[in-house]
Amino acid sequence: MNNCTEADEYLESLWYINEKSQGAVSDICEHNVSRLSEDTRGGLSDEIIEKLVSENFIEIDEAGKSIKLTPKGLERARHIVRAHRLAERLLYDVMGKNIEDGACEFEHIVTMELVDSICTLLGHPKECPHGLPIPQGKCCELSAKSVNSSVIHLDELDIGKYARIAYVNCPNDQLIHRLNGLSIRPGVTVKLHQSYPTFVIECEGMHIALDNELAENICVWRESEFIDGSKLVAKTKKRKFPFLGRLKK
Amino acid sequence: MDKVRKVLILGLPNSGKTQICNNLTGTYNLVANYHHTTIDVNRAYYEHGGVLFELYDVPGLYCLYANSEEELLVRNLIFSEEPDVLLFCLDANLLKQSLMLGIELMELGIPIVIALNAIDETSKKGIWIDTAVLSSTLGVPVVESIAIRGIGTRKLKNAIEKARVPKASIYYGDIVEAGVAKVVQELPEDFPFKRKTAMLLLLNDRFLEKDLISTCTTDQYSDIQKSITAITSQFVGSIGKAIYYKRSEWVDQLSEKIVKTQQFDQRSMAKTFAKMSRNIVTGIPILGMIILITYFLVVKVAEKITFIMESYLWKPVIDKISGFVTSPFWWDFLLGSHGVLSLGLGGAVLTVLPILSVFFIVFNVLEDIGYVPNLTVLTRRFFSKVGLSGYSIMPIVLGFGCKTMATFTTRTISSDKEKYIAIFLIAFALPCAPQIGLTMGMMGKVGFKAFMIVLAVLLFTELTAGVLLNLIMKDDTKNTYLQALPAIRIPNVFAVLKKTYYRLYMFLKEALPIFLFSAVVLFTLERTGLLELTKRLLAPVINNFLGLPNDMVDVLLLVLARREAAAAVIMDLIDKGRLNFNQAIVSVTLTTMFVPCFANLGAIIKEIGFRRAMIAAFFITTSSILIAGALNKILLFFNHG
Ligand SMILES: [Zn+2]
Ligand SMILES: [Zn+2]
Ligand SMILES: [Zn+2]
Repeated sequence: MNNCTEADEYLESLWYINEKSQGAVSDICEHNVSRLSEDTRGGLSDEIIEKLVSENFIEIDEAGKSIKLTPKGLERARHIVRAHRLAERLLYDVMGKNIEDGACEFEHIVTMELVDSICTLLGHPKECPHGLPIPQGKCCELSAKSVNSSVIHLDELDIGKYARIAYVNCPNDQLIHRLNGLSIRPGVTVKLHQSYPTFVIECEGMHIALDNELAENICVWRESEFIDGSKLVAKTKKRKFPFLGRLKK
Repeated sequence: MDKVRKVLILGLPNSGKTQICNNLTGTYNLVANYHHTTIDVNRAYYEHGGVLFELYDVPGLYCLYANSEEELLVRNLIFSEEPDVLLFCLDANLLKQSLMLGIELMELGIPIVIALNAIDETSKKGIWIDTAVLSSTLGVPVVESIAIRGIGTRKLKNAIEKARVPKASIYYGDIVEAGVAKVVQELPEDFPFKRKTAMLLLLNDRFLEKDLISTCTTDQYSDIQKSITAITSQFVGSIGKAIYYKRSEWVDQLSEKIVKTQQFDQRSMAKTFAKMSRNIVTGIPILGMIILITYFLVVKVAEKITFIMESYLWKPVIDKISGFVTSPFWWDFLLGSHGVLSLGLGGAVLTVLPILSVFFIVFNVLEDIGYVPNLTVLTRRFFSKVGLSGYSIMPIVLGFGCKTMATFTTRTISSDKEKYIAIFLIAFALPCAPQIGLTMGMMGKVGFKAFMIVLAVLLFTELTAGVLLNLIMKDDTKNTYLQALPAIRIPNVFAVLKKTYYRLYMFLKEALPIFLFSAVVLFTLERTGLLELTKRLLAPVINNFLGLPNDMVDVLLLVLARREAAAAVIMDLIDKGRLNFNQAIVSVTLTTMFVPCFANLGAIIKEIGFRRAMIAAFFITTSSILIAGALNKILLFFNHG
């Protein structure tokens, strides 16, 4: 690992620490966090810290105890985290792969433009497969929604069409329980029956009415996978849940 | 019999629980083809093999995590009653959704028996469920049933005795399992279902946390809190998602094992009708047609029934009695204008009963085919204008059936603001099923135009009240609208008739004594001169402001007792020509809005407390008089009386 990548990993770790202290759930690249604390304690990475300070990414108080991200550092960290979580989404949704392995390498090599196009391809997801927020990019603000994306929002689906749910941006915890009770979850195939005055979908044999906001948060694969309903029975791909039970240690 | 075995029937909403309960016990509870019909717990008993079984029919639920008071009620019942057997009513049409609930029930460690219900519908769809594999995989007896036709009842009775603790369980991974074990240890000794409780606490169940605070010492509670934070922070991301993924995986694997499909796209009439009833272009005309047909049936057919009953049943009997009674006092008591027979019995049986019979048949058909919930699709946007974004639509639509029941179903609303608005609107200008029937009956005597005017006024009032309340009240949590719609089905004639019979029976049982009693009270008031006094006192309001004759005082007094009784008198007044076109409209509008009936008031108090209920009732009563007065002036302006 070269210095440049290592520096990035520190910034990312700092972002997680920030996020965690603001009540967010958990950190992902745990290896970095532990190493960061080790490294700073043992003073092993002076070189990198100096580099980060000199490039104005972080500030260190006089006592040398607390490290703070500068606006510039925050921006850089934000980009890395965004890339990391989008990469997870991509690997998990598209490839059905173990999400932890590739994501950390990925985040260091992709450019801003590439990240934005991946974001667009995935329909601007709001959270990673772990349920952690993905920092928004310019593309999300412009909300150049469907043009280039393979994942579209349910409200963009044509009426009468089938689609498989890619992921659901879950606005709140309670909703997870309700959605699961109704079997609205990734991997399940739904049919859009109507969109006005209220969205009605068919899901596992059940008709469900939902409001526009929720329809926007349900993201589905573009129809290429399912041309028509008759092919639907084709088993939904077996999904592994590799991130479950990942331990910190 | 020394021992009573408690059996709790659980399942998704609308999965046939009540029907199964009725089949098993031979009792009758209203069954409807939509969700949330069982709002309170029904208990019934039956005997089998020398053992007495106590059956609890409870509201349906999707998971044990409580989202609302209603779901909490069910969970508390499981936790507090600790039933001997869970009868899990598995809706074969909604296999995956049911299994999702099923795995949670199985984790409780209570002996379970499964009723695989509605298999007739799945086989029509070409779906075959391997009951034997399901039974052997889960390790519990599974009985196929078609509850609506009573099939499978005897087998079920036998199976309940053989209920087993299921052997199926999910391993949630090291972190969750270790965490659950830790929390289980920390929970107070006497806490029931510790594993499930621990699991729900990990999922951040707010109701359970409240329970915990009240039963634990502060130390215990903070220990538990600490463990939970420790576990969740070990976790990558949301623990809720992780747990649900494990369950989904389990459900997918199991259903793959037991379901065999022959897929063909079935396009049934019922499906097309469901679609049409929800689409705005076809849905609104369908709604209009339904109202028109109902109006025609209620007015014309009920009129015929009344006529036949009057000439062949009532008249001969009354003439006989009239001949017997010689004392003028008793004649007046029985057959006078406030007579127990003429006003009390006659009003109930002759005037109200035919209308209600016809109306209930129509309404029960609509209910049975599952039309009602589809209305929410059509009306959601409209309701959002009055501050009702999500869950409250269903209670309001149910309010057309019965206000009291609808008021109880507002428990599903978690936003306080929405709940209050819904309760208020249900109590205010929303006519309930008997009222709609009676309004049609009353207005039918004056003309369709009058009926439409009344409807328009009520709608306008309701909207204004909703918009105002929405403006006045502070916003709180926003509800997401997510509503499962039942499949539309061909009406079951037998079920509809049976339900109509029971609804009428309930009406007579509840209302007839009140009809008779109010006649006696009115008779007494008249004899003592108090009625005259009241009329004179109220004259300025009744005569001048509302433009109604003095007789309306009787009506208003009757409204307090029972709306149907008031309606009977109004119809009588219209028949006698004492209410003209305008006055008929004003009096019907007034009595529809006027103070909520006792049952409804009781429900309101239960849901939002005495003080707020009284404020609402006061507001409703005053505004109903003001609105009726204004309506009178407007009608006079256009129609010159
Ligand atoms: Zn990383
Ligand atoms: Zn993630
Ligand atoms: Zn984007």
